[in-house]
Amino acid sequence: MKKVTVDPITRLEGHGKIEIFVDDADKVQNVYFQIPELRGFERFCVGRPVEELARITPRICGVCPEAHHMAATKAIDNVFGVEVAPAGRKLRELLYNTFYVTDHTTHFYILAGPDFIMGPESDPAARNILGVIGKVGLETAGAMIKLRAEAAEVISMIGGKQIHPVCGLPGGVSQAITAEQRDRIVEVTAAQVEFARFTLKLFDDVVLANSDYVDLIKSDAFTHETYYMGMVDENNKVNFYDGKIRVVGPDGAEHEKFDGSDYLAHIAEHVEPYSYLVYPYLKSVGWKGFVDGKDSGVYRASPLSRLNASDGMATPLAQAEYERFYDTLGGKPVHATLATHWARLVELLYAAERAHELATDPEIIDPDVRTIPTRIVGEGVGVVEAPRGTLYHHYKTDDQGIVTGVNLIVGTTNNNAAISMSLKKAAEGILTGGHEISEGKLNMIEMAFRAYDPCFGCATHTLPGDMPLEVTIRSEATRDVIASLKRNM
Amino acid sequence: MGNPILSDDGVGLLVAGRLAERQLPAGVEVAVSEVAGLRLLELVRGFTRVIIIDALKSPAETGRVPGEVIRYEAKDFKGGHRYGSAHSIGLDTALEVGRQVGYEMPGEVIVFAIEAEDVETFGEQLTPAVAAAADRVAEMVLAEVRA
Repeated sequence: MKKVTVDPITRLEGHGKIEIFVDDADKVQNVYFQIPELRGFERFCVGRPVEELARITPRICGVCPEAHHMAATKAIDNVFGVEVAPAGRKLRELLYNTFYVTDHTTHFYILAGPDFIMGPESDPAARNILGVIGKVGLETAGAMIKLRAEAAEVISMIGGKQIHPVCGLPGGVSQAITAEQRDRIVEVTAAQVEFARFTLKLFDDVVLANSDYVDLIKSDAFTHETYYMGMVDENNKVNFYDGKIRVVGPDGAEHEKFDGSDYLAHIAEHVEPYSYLVYPYLKSVGWKGFVDGKDSGVYRASPLSRLNASDGMATPLAQAEYERFYDTLGGKPVHATLATHWARLVELLYAAERAHELATDPEIIDPDVRTIPTRIVGEGVGVVEAPRGTLYHHYKTDDQGIVTGVNLIVGTTNNNAAISMSLKKAAEGILTGGHEISEGKLNMIEMAFRAYDPCFGCATHTLPGDMPLEVTIRSEATRDVIASLKRNM
Repeated sequence: MGNPILSDDGVGLLVAGRLAERQLPAGVEVAVSEVAGLRLLELVRGFTRVIIIDALKSPAETGRVPGEVIRYEAKDFKGGHRYGSAHSIGLDTALEVGRQVGYEMPGEVIVFAIEAEDVETFGEQLTPAVAAAADRVAEMVLAEVRA
């Protein structure tokens, strides 16, 4: 057996690693997706006042601190058994949807854009954000950067700080917004709705109008029939901030729907000896290995999963896009992993519309933004949809509110089994004989991984370095390198 | 730059704290960032020079020891702007995107990297050799901004 290693050393100390084992006939035998362990998080949290976790947990991740802040704040509400003041709840949801606008926009233009706007096997020198800027034009690129800056301004107004919000307190938020601030937010969110519509139009013109791309999206190499998880409101519409967790089967029918606080009754964790990262699966179905189908408890939690797990979007423009998505791709559910990129844009439009809706709600400037807690329940679960999947925070405290236990399931962890399966299937479909691994082929395997935008529970900074991706085929017997390809992307 | 709860990863923030206590020439500002990538764009926009202080974990074969300081320039980090994950977007890409869209971007970017011992254990304490480097780096940065 030979080994192929895909090693995206994106920080100088390295992190994610993809290992592909092939037999003597170059048939893919197995794929392992590994990430390094960050140690001692629970020990770090135990003994601290639980309110601090809303400021500590965002530091797990440099990309989605807002998601951790929200999940933590909601868990802390429950630890104190406090009802959140209506205006406080709306401000949280407004901040959170604004964060989604930024996150989804960035993902599309910087991560998906190069593959779909430039082409998966286009010249690697131009298959990047700068190539995308060249193609979509400086005006669009400038609008994207302006959108990010304005979203940061809104997050900073509500969150108190631009990068790591500190507004979430048990029972609400720390401060109200003024009418002037509200006016600015209305203006910014209106522009975001327009930018989201523009981006969907771009996706239409560039991706959907190209039958090669549509064939690639629908191709078997990028398809898995799994369960799908997502948060829904009382009408089974997608909601990022609050609601019940709904799971649909590979046939699209509702499998279960539960309160986030009951997650342990529905999700179990499978362990493999080669990875410290667990593989969550549906308890009611059971772990049957890294396999598709109704009998396998593997589920996915991603933009595509949220659309599949819902009955629609709660805002009008996004609902129209949702309908078009399923009409175009042949009905619900959609199993094509690469359709996640389109689903992400449907969500982008929803997030912008929802933020605008909240900004124009008269109650958003109500000064009564917090209910002061009067008791300690001692245990609480907080769940939000993080951009990369359902995020669970579960805290236990003593009767003084001092942390005694912490458990988290982060967005990417939900998808751990599915990511390994997607990489394996893409590798099987793409590495078809011969040791010649072209850069384009390597990129196609990476596309399976990129659709999920995996979060490595990362240390928050990235010391800038070049970004090598290395694929090596080794003889299992001698460990000698038979072929290798290294690119500085 | 750094993470205040990931052991030696917090060294950049410690140096920033030391610098903030010192008398700095007019026009010099100390900023801290716990995130990277495109989020840096707004932070560096409009400055002519940027000095970044961050932890670094080098591969074992380099023989670097914890607390060692390596001075880089932005050109040492030229990459290809292509990423597998939003977590990986590098400074070089952020600077280039800023330039493309017409932002006024710094002409000079210097990085002081401090070799770390442990950036994978949650904790607010730095290992001794890395903590000891903080004062040294602060002096190096001061010399740089006064030059």
